[in-house]
This record gives sequence, structure tokens and C-alpha cells, in this order.
Amino acid sequence: MPFFRLFTGGILALLCFSLSLPVLAAARSWTSLTPLQHEALAPLSTEWNTLPEKQQQHFLKLAKRYPQLTAVEKKRLHARLERWSKLTPAQRKEARAKYRAFSKVPAESREQVKQMVRQQEADKLAPPASAVLPATPAR
Amino acid sequence: MNNLDLLKIKQLLNRSLTRMDRPTLERLRDSRAQALAQYGVRRTAPAFAWAGKTPWQTLGHTFSGPQKTHLWAVAILFIIFLFGATLYSQQTAEPDTTDVDIAILTDELPIHVYLD
Repeated sequence: MPFFRLFTGGILALLCFSLSLPVLAAARSWTSLTPLQHEALAPLSTEWNTLPEKQQQHFLKLAKRYPQLTAVEKKRLHARLERWSKLTPAQRKEARAKYRAFSKVPAESREQVKQMVRQQEADKLAPPASAVLPATPAR
Repeated sequence: MNNLDLLKIKQLLNRSLTRMDRPTLERLRDSRAQALAQYGVRRTAPAFAWAGKTPWQTLGHTFSGPQKTHLWAVAILFIIFLFGATLYSQQTAEPDTTDVDIAILTDELPIHVYLD
């Protein structure tokens, strides 16, 4: 019957299409990326080809936002991207949840936390107290 | 001639069965039998023949032999397709976290603040 042949053909075509979808969204090699994507994802250049396809897709989405970032934000992104890529999905999920929760905190409290973190970061960067003490003159 | 007969039949059918006389009913029965003989059993299966049967029984009655196998093959393929499509959509339909991620990666606070 022509109807059944047509129907079966249609189903087979849909099946082939559905099976080909993962192939269409296959992983992309570093060399296949655009110059803009190279610039945005530069810290991941060495490990890019080993990243799971899903993660690559996610980073490509992030790269799309790169042109809209300020110079400082671009610097921060580059500094954090590698560490972010090495986190487990659970850790990333946790970080997102905490970020969302922190965003709901009143601005004043948020600023206090930021001030505290800034202080901690400054303390880390400052040389140890003993190193800055003037050498005692020999007697 | 044929059109005229059909019209007559329509008019008769529109009237209540109780108002039909026996010879008319006989003629209608004969006409139906002739129509059935012309179009074959499968094509002329009356709608009321499906009454009280499940869709599967109806399909089993309507399709037989190779057609039935074909129908099963199509149904199985369709189920496989649905299963594949569902799996694929489940894998890809995760919420988009790009906004939050870009915010975390460019925020003044370092990542470890959100991890510890």
C-alpha cells in the first residue's frame, strides 16, 4: 500500500534525523573556533579538545558574551575560566546556587562581604610582616 | 438514474423506520447487499461494526496478514523514535546557566567564595 510505504518512509526519515542530532552537535576542535572565540576562551586552549562536548557548547555560549564585557571583566574571566572548567558539575551547581542566594542579600550586606573579601585578598598579597621589618643593627 | 435512486434512498432513510413499509425495507436490504458485493468486505465494513470493540480489536479486524505486520513495524519504529526524541530532549533541555556563569566569572568576588 502506498500509504504504508510513505508512512514507514516518514518514520524512518524522522528516526535517522533524531539519530543524527547528536552528531550535528558534535564536539568542535580548537582550530575550528573563530578568532573571537579563541580570544574569549584562550585560557582553555590547551585542554579544549579534551573537554566534553556539552561543556564546550556551554563555553561557546559564554564566549558570545565576551565582546560585551569590560576590560576588567575580561581579565577576571580569563583568570577564572580554567579553574571553572575544572570544577565538577556539582561544584558549579553549588556555586550558582550560592551566587543566586547572595544576589538576594541586601546591597549593604553584600558590600560588607565584598569589603571583607577585598581585605582578605589584600592580606594574602601583602608580604609577611617579618619581611618588612627593618633589619636590627648589629651591636 | 443512479442519482435518483440515491435520492430516494436518502429520503427514505430520513423517515422513521417505523413508518417504512416492509417492501421498502426489503428493497433497502437488497440495495445494501448489492453495495457490499461491489465494494468488498473490508471497504464496506459499516461503522457500527466497530461498536463495542477496542481500537486494537478494530485494527486487528481492519488489518490482516502482511498489513498487520507492517502496522506493527511502523508502531515499533514510532515508539523507538519517540523514545530517542525524549532521551535527546532530556539531555539537551537543561536550564541555561550562561547568565549566572558569566556573572560568577566576572564578579568582583572570586569563585572560591561561592565554593567554600
